[in-house]
Amino acid sequence: MISRKSISLGSRTITSLILCATFVFSLAFVDWSDLTPHGGGATMLEVMLREIISLELSSEFIKVSLRASFITLSYALCSISLAIIFGLIGGILASGGLFSGFLAKVLGISLFRALLAILRSIHELIWAWLIAVSLGFSPISGVIALAIPYGAILARVYADFLNDVPQAPLSALRSSGASSFQTMLYGRLPQAAREMFSYGFYRFECCVRSASVLSFIGLQGLGYQIGVSLDDLKFGEVWTLLAFLIGLIVLIDYWGSLLRRSLS
Amino acid sequence: MKRINFSFLTFSIFLFSIATISSWAFFFFSLEQNRGFSIGPGLEFITKLVGIELGKESAFLSTASWAKSLRLGFTTLTMSILAIGFAAIFSFLTFPFAARTLAFSDRPVISNPFSTATFLFIKMTHTVTRSVPELVWAMLIVFVLHPSVIAGSMALAFHNYGVLGRLLAESVENMNQRPIKALRSSGANSIQILFYCVMPEIFPKFLTYLLYRWEVVIRTTVVVGFLAAGGLGRELKLSMSWFHYDEVGVLLVTYVILVFLVDGISVFLRKYVS
Repeated sequence: MISRKSISLGSRTITSLILCATFVFSLAFVDWSDLTPHGGGATMLEVMLREIISLELSSEFIKVSLRASFITLSYALCSISLAIIFGLIGGILASGGLFSGFLAKVLGISLFRALLAILRSIHELIWAWLIAVSLGFSPISGVIALAIPYGAILARVYADFLNDVPQAPLSALRSSGASSFQTMLYGRLPQAAREMFSYGFYRFECCVRSASVLSFIGLQGLGYQIGVSLDDLKFGEVWTLLAFLIGLIVLIDYWGSLLRRSLS
Repeated sequence: MKRINFSFLTFSIFLFSIATISSWAFFFFSLEQNRGFSIGPGLEFITKLVGIELGKESAFLSTASWAKSLRLGFTTLTMSILAIGFAAIFSFLTFPFAARTLAFSDRPVISNPFSTATFLFIKMTHTVTRSVPELVWAMLIVFVLHPSVIAGSMALAFHNYGVLGRLLAESVENMNQRPIKALRSSGANSIQILFYCVMPEIFPKFLTYLLYRWEVVIRTTVVVGFLAAGGLGRELKLSMSWFHYDEVGVLLVTYVILVFLVDGISVFLRKYVS
């Protein structure tokens, strides 16, 4: 027994070995000459780093940065509010709590889960780009694009939360004659509400970061301003905008941690 | 205490609702960019995307375009593995320095004269790299390096280094502190505490987080590829600008297959580890 145990590797060791081997294997596929800076790249890096100390802090530019942060935040708020609505509907459907009968339950759950998996598998900016081509490069396209994958992620997690609630109150409701819809509304949702709110807020933090790069489809915001300043080679402005972006994320992160502490 | 917490939650919900309503109002009334919004071209785009186009052989039927798409998918996969690999290595080397409980106890586990300085510095690198999205990192990196696979994976690695570093530091802070105290009182030094107490508990979590982030990275690699010129992303951009929508369709299908593949591997390995 002892000798067998000493040669059999733990699952963690095997997994780590597989991961390391995969990593080393992919190192071989890289053209390492790409790592050298292109013509002028080294001086560009030097200028970029030197400009950190000369942040652009004129009142006009602060106004530009504030406006950009505000727009990014607005995109995030619109998207996450839409995503929470998608998530609630999708989560309730995918949890299977509304279906009665074994076959309907299995079919319903697998159908909605598969649909959510496909919506989730495409990155929000690819969605943004597909939607922008079909519906026009407008802010509404950006909001819808962020709401689709975020809604699908929220729906999947909400479905798990709704399934994992304590069962005793549910059977009490059912035995007093509640329909599956009433059980959902008065039994499952109130019990899962805290976790759902907490997770929704965590997703909001991610959404702010995603909203900042909606410049991908030409929408305004922090990413857009960073692109403009980079094109003008005004690195001082770039660093100021990055500071605003980091500040915004850290602020929301802090709010979220306070909120989670007060919820637990 | 309880009353304060309750009112903070109410206040947060109130503030969040007000901000959301005013954001919607802002987009509908003040920012007059919704002129471009129309349903018309959408239907045409979607029919072409699924490969229905008159007088043209659909890319869905040609083996050449599938072969090309799969080859590019492989490049994207390599890019994601490189990105998560570098992020994992650097976050694994730095996380003990960023954990408050290891750096700031009565006798710090990471004991050196610069303990506070390293803590603040590493914590700052985690926060900064995490807060800046991958795409912005890519925008900055292509100013210095040639757009390439390695440039793209560097952009992804920067962001994920911050995410993983923070997750690991937080798990150290949230772990049970008693084993550390027990080891310290029996005379273990910092290195011993790190390897015999912190690592056994954190390492499985590290593998789980790593695999979970890999699922996120594979999705983002395509977007970074748009800018950093690598794999599926670059080809998506080119096909789109040439209006070869059926090729876009093929590439998107490959993308979804790739994501499902990585999700499958990740779920399998995570179950295997735990």
